[in-house]
Amino acid sequence: MAYYLGIDIGSGTSKGVVTRNGDVIALHSFRSGVNYKLAGQKLRDELLAMAKLSMKDVAATVATGQGAGLVDYADRKIADIRCCARGMNSILPEVRTIIDVEGQSTYVLKINEKGQVINFITSERCAGGAGRFLDIIANVLQVPIEEIGSLSLKSNGPIVFTTACAVFGESEAVSRVAEGASKEDILAGVHKALAEKISSMVDRVGMEPEYGMCGGGAMNKGLVVWVQRRLGVELLVPPEPQYVIAIGAAIFAREPVNKTFSS
Amino acid sequence: MILIYFAGIDLGSTMTKVVIIDESGKLLTHVVQHTGAEHRRLANKIMESALQNLNLDVEDISYIIATGYGRINVPFADKQITELTCHARGVAHFFPKVSLAIDIGGQDAKGLKIKDGKLIDFVMSDKCAAGTGRFLEVASTTLGLKLEDLGAISLKSTHRVSISSLCTIFAQQEIINYLSAGVPVEDVVAGLHDAIAGRVARMVARLKVEPDVVFTGGVAKNIGVVKALEENLGCTVLVPTDPLLSGAFGAALIACETILKAQSEGKSIQRTGRKLEEASFFRNDDGILSGN
Repeated sequence: MAYYLGIDIGSGTSKGVVTRNGDVIALHSFRSGVNYKLAGQKLRDELLAMAKLSMKDVAATVATGQGAGLVDYADRKIADIRCCARGMNSILPEVRTIIDVEGQSTYVLKINEKGQVINFITSERCAGGAGRFLDIIANVLQVPIEEIGSLSLKSNGPIVFTTACAVFGESEAVSRVAEGASKEDILAGVHKALAEKISSMVDRVGMEPEYGMCGGGAMNKGLVVWVQRRLGVELLVPPEPQYVIAIGAAIFAREPVNKTFSS
Repeated sequence: MILIYFAGIDLGSTMTKVVIIDESGKLLTHVVQHTGAEHRRLANKIMESALQNLNLDVEDISYIIATGYGRINVPFADKQITELTCHARGVAHFFPKVSLAIDIGGQDAKGLKIKDGKLIDFVMSDKCAAGTGRFLEVASTTLGLKLEDLGAISLKSTHRVSISSLCTIFAQQEIINYLSAGVPVEDVVAGLHDAIAGRVARMVARLKVEPDVVFTGGVAKNIGVVKALEENLGCTVLVPTDPLLSGAFGAALIACETILKAQSEGKSIQRTGRKLEEASFFRNDDGILSGN
């Protein structure tokens, strides 16, 4: 029986999966912290414990994400966008346009039927174009991050954010709170602003159905709705959307080395 | 002899500045205060304290010009003029040979190309906190240092770090990573100064950097950014004694010129009934652009 590890050390969260014959048998994630090397080791140890395995059961490991270089037990390192494309392709093969909303960046990928990246665009580590913008406003409003999406959908009139910068947006949210705006309307405003930024990236890459959304941002059902409204299309969201990249990494781990190119 | 007075008020995003001058252009008094959250209510208070300094009434001021991003919210002003025009005028008054004026304020950065004292071109960035005073404000909080101490601290740096994040939010994480790795704080601060200077230098490159280059705005008070800007631009950067005042001073000078020109042409200037009061509205949705 061969087991594979897919390890995704992101700037915010570390995510990992164990697969057996292509099936995911364990999923695990936690905050990466400042030490990516430590995060990688902890992720391996905890995943193996969950799957009741030891490292000798693991046939191959692929690491990806910002901290991939510090995962010293990995056999290969592969770029996160390639893992994302493969992961999504394995779960939702009909998807051609992927919107991956991570904490630090948003990626929009155009992929083919084999799960290969044809074209992509990124928000270039701008908090205003990534999940971080939502975290910041949730913090201002003292609303748990899991609740912001559904609250945003209860708004009667989203406030208009005049800025796409998360730093200026934070000040703007504080001012609106002082003026008596409701949490729902402020949250709707920030979701709308982020959806606008994400959707304009999709416009630039070009629309091609079907559309899939993944990354931590896709766990926010409100954000999915706001992006759907703006783009006018349905977005497919895999179960456990934050693990798509780690799943893609585990798929690469299962393939012979000559089929992949180390990044 | 009857003295006549002119005032300029510059409502910036972060600081509000009031300057009162006489007809010779001499600075009689100035007041600078934090704009704060309720800044539209503050404009008249700051004007009041400037008037008190000279023991004057608002009616004693011949002409008042408001500038800055909150200029529309100054009900006692006779006219509003964009800060680009006022900055150019103020800088050219102190540095007649200025060719490029760089202003880094609390929430924006501007590059002004000036020829013979006149504004001929500009670039501006107000969409992103990076490259503005806000970047340093956020960073100083993360570092646990006072904003005004950053300049002096950075001068002690021997091995400046490189801040790779353009985004202010992600730069915070980089600061924490450097500090937790044991990097001396002065090297981190110097890296932040280089990051902001590099960004602004790239922004103004289109305007052709030629001397004299003058640097104003609150960030010009930071000697570390001045030095980093000199390094990034490859030329000397001049800073006025009080770099915060150039916009308000320019506004006051334009006020003075407006009246003197009208007098010499024998025209009278229509002044709306002036009341020193709070602005009654809070939104500045599309702003008013006024020429000069």
